[in-house]
Amino acid sequence: MVVWIFRLTRWSAMLGGLVLVALMLMVVASVSGRALVGLGLGLGPVPGDFELVEVGTAVAVFLFLPWCYLRGGHAAVDLFYERFPSGLRWLVTTLADLIMLALWLVLTERLVEGMLEKREYMETTFILLMPMWWGYALCLVGGVIGCLAYLTKVLIQFKLAAWPAGWTTDPAGGH
Amino acid sequence: MTPIEWAAWSFVVLLALIFIRLPIWLSMALCGLFGAWMVYGQPAPVLNQLKHVTYGTFSNYNLSVIPLFLLMGQFAALGGLSQALFKAAEVWVGHRKGGVAMAAVAACAGFGSICGSSLATAATMGQVALPELRRAGYAGGLSTACLAAGGTLGILIPPSVVLVIYAILTEQNIAKLFLAAFVPGILAAIGYAIVIAVVARVEPGSAGTMAPVPMAQRWAATLKVWPVVVIFLAVVGGIYGGIFTPTEGAAVGAFGTGVAAWAAGGLTLKTLRGAFLGTAVATGMIFMIVLGAGMFNSFLALSQLPQTMAQWVGEQGLSPWVVLTVVLLVYLLLGCVMDSLSMILLTIPIFFPMIMALDFGLTPEETAIWFGILVLIVVEVGLITPPVGMNLFVINNMARDVPIAHTYRAILPFVASDLIRTAILAAFPVITLFVLRL
Repeated sequence: MVVWIFRLTRWSAMLGGLVLVALMLMVVASVSGRALVGLGLGLGPVPGDFELVEVGTAVAVFLFLPWCYLRGGHAAVDLFYERFPSGLRWLVTTLADLIMLALWLVLTERLVEGMLEKREYMETTFILLMPMWWGYALCLVGGVIGCLAYLTKVLIQFKLAAWPAGWTTDPAGGH
Repeated sequence: MTPIEWAAWSFVVLLALIFIRLPIWLSMALCGLFGAWMVYGQPAPVLNQLKHVTYGTFSNYNLSVIPLFLLMGQFAALGGLSQALFKAAEVWVGHRKGGVAMAAVAACAGFGSICGSSLATAATMGQVALPELRRAGYAGGLSTACLAAGGTLGILIPPSVVLVIYAILTEQNIAKLFLAAFVPGILAAIGYAIVIAVVARVEPGSAGTMAPVPMAQRWAATLKVWPVVVIFLAVVGGIYGGIFTPTEGAAVGAFGTGVAAWAAGGLTLKTLRGAFLGTAVATGMIFMIVLGAGMFNSFLALSQLPQTMAQWVGEQGLSPWVVLTVVLLVYLLLGCVMDSLSMILLTIPIFFPMIMALDFGLTPEETAIWFGILVLIVVEVGLITPPVGMNLFVINNMARDVPIAHTYRAILPFVASDLIRTAILAAFPVITLFVLRL
């Protein structure tokens, strides 16, 4: 089960990468189209390219987050932690994992609320007239995978689950 | 407690949480949400904001430049471009004293012009240049130190993720910041080369030399870096010339770098997966810090602490230069333990209004850009200062036979060159700003 959740976060990150590449290609097409508009071949920028970039980036980031967390990718200050006794280290890490899970559950629930609100008011984007709640709904996919991933991390802390074989975490904090 | 008192206390709690090693973004989010709850006196307004803050932050058009630049950096690392850059520099200076190390710095500078991240630059160039340096007989400490320092050029030379964040926070023009960062970035590379030349003469045993290369081969090696030049000119030139937005520039750059990597045979299904996963970690980290900082900063704004502090500092009648020096020193100290983006997101909302309220004899826009470049430089020093300079770790992990203490000792002259450059750029704003006045 745990192995499948880890695989899910990996697929999720890959899917996020594909979304990003799709955005990249769309923007390149849009920029080229804009540059060639004078040729009169019916070429032009992709309509609503800004809106697509906005929705796409949000979706990709939500899909990236579970993998980022399980890889230990979030920046932190190691200065004192390295000198902590192992019991205190466990306590701090568990606390961080519990807070992460709790906060993410709240944020996901709020995302659903936000989605329902956008749907109720029938808000749309300016150019493509895409309903705003679609973007929220797509982001919910990554959001829910995040809930599963953070729950798994808490279970691992309490020894109720184990890391998959060969899993490594990156040193935290860099870009 | 008054809102300002809550804000002041929140800083104490925030630092405590960060230092026990709660993730930085989580610490900022907790303090921000709790603080706002206290100031409002009830949780409902906070919960209401949370409905849209996550999606709203992640779907901000200005931020979309970041994952694209990160993807571009990942592609650049695959393409054999790093190898070409290093070879092109090595053939020209490799036979001089310390020349191979200088070539490594120059190659880092070249790589920095298509990569917005220090760690990626250090890691990529480390893989290429470290074996060459050791083969040419360079001491372990100098080899790792010059690459760790050279790695910071990834962010000093545009494009730069840190400048993108600074531009968004302070509502400045990204194109102008990129242009202003260019000369200080080149000065940094020159400073590092001077350090290497001095070290190679003071400790002759630490540097080796290579045989000189015939002219024809030099030009042949140099011509191979053309994709880097084209991509850099297209991205930074296009953004500055107003042909496209920074996001569009990053997309074009990522596309061009991807094509170059594919043509060089570096982009396969396997490496593409690695590039996606690497982008996922870096993007996730940056966006969560931006989200957490957004929550904390909206609480600070609510408490009016930044305006009050800026006003208070302005009323003290201190010399602007004293305030600037103190601010830069704070960054240097924080940089010893914290990563650059967290520092910027945490402190700019406080320091920026403070600096803008002072008179340096510059227009407001010039002050903002010049201060941004200074902050960029001092936070990047944090990447190479012991004990937790990330670049030092990244490079040292690649050279297992070099004790970290050797790297720590060898990095000090490079840190000194950073400090001298900061002082010069702070004392003479014109060095940074003349490009914009042309």
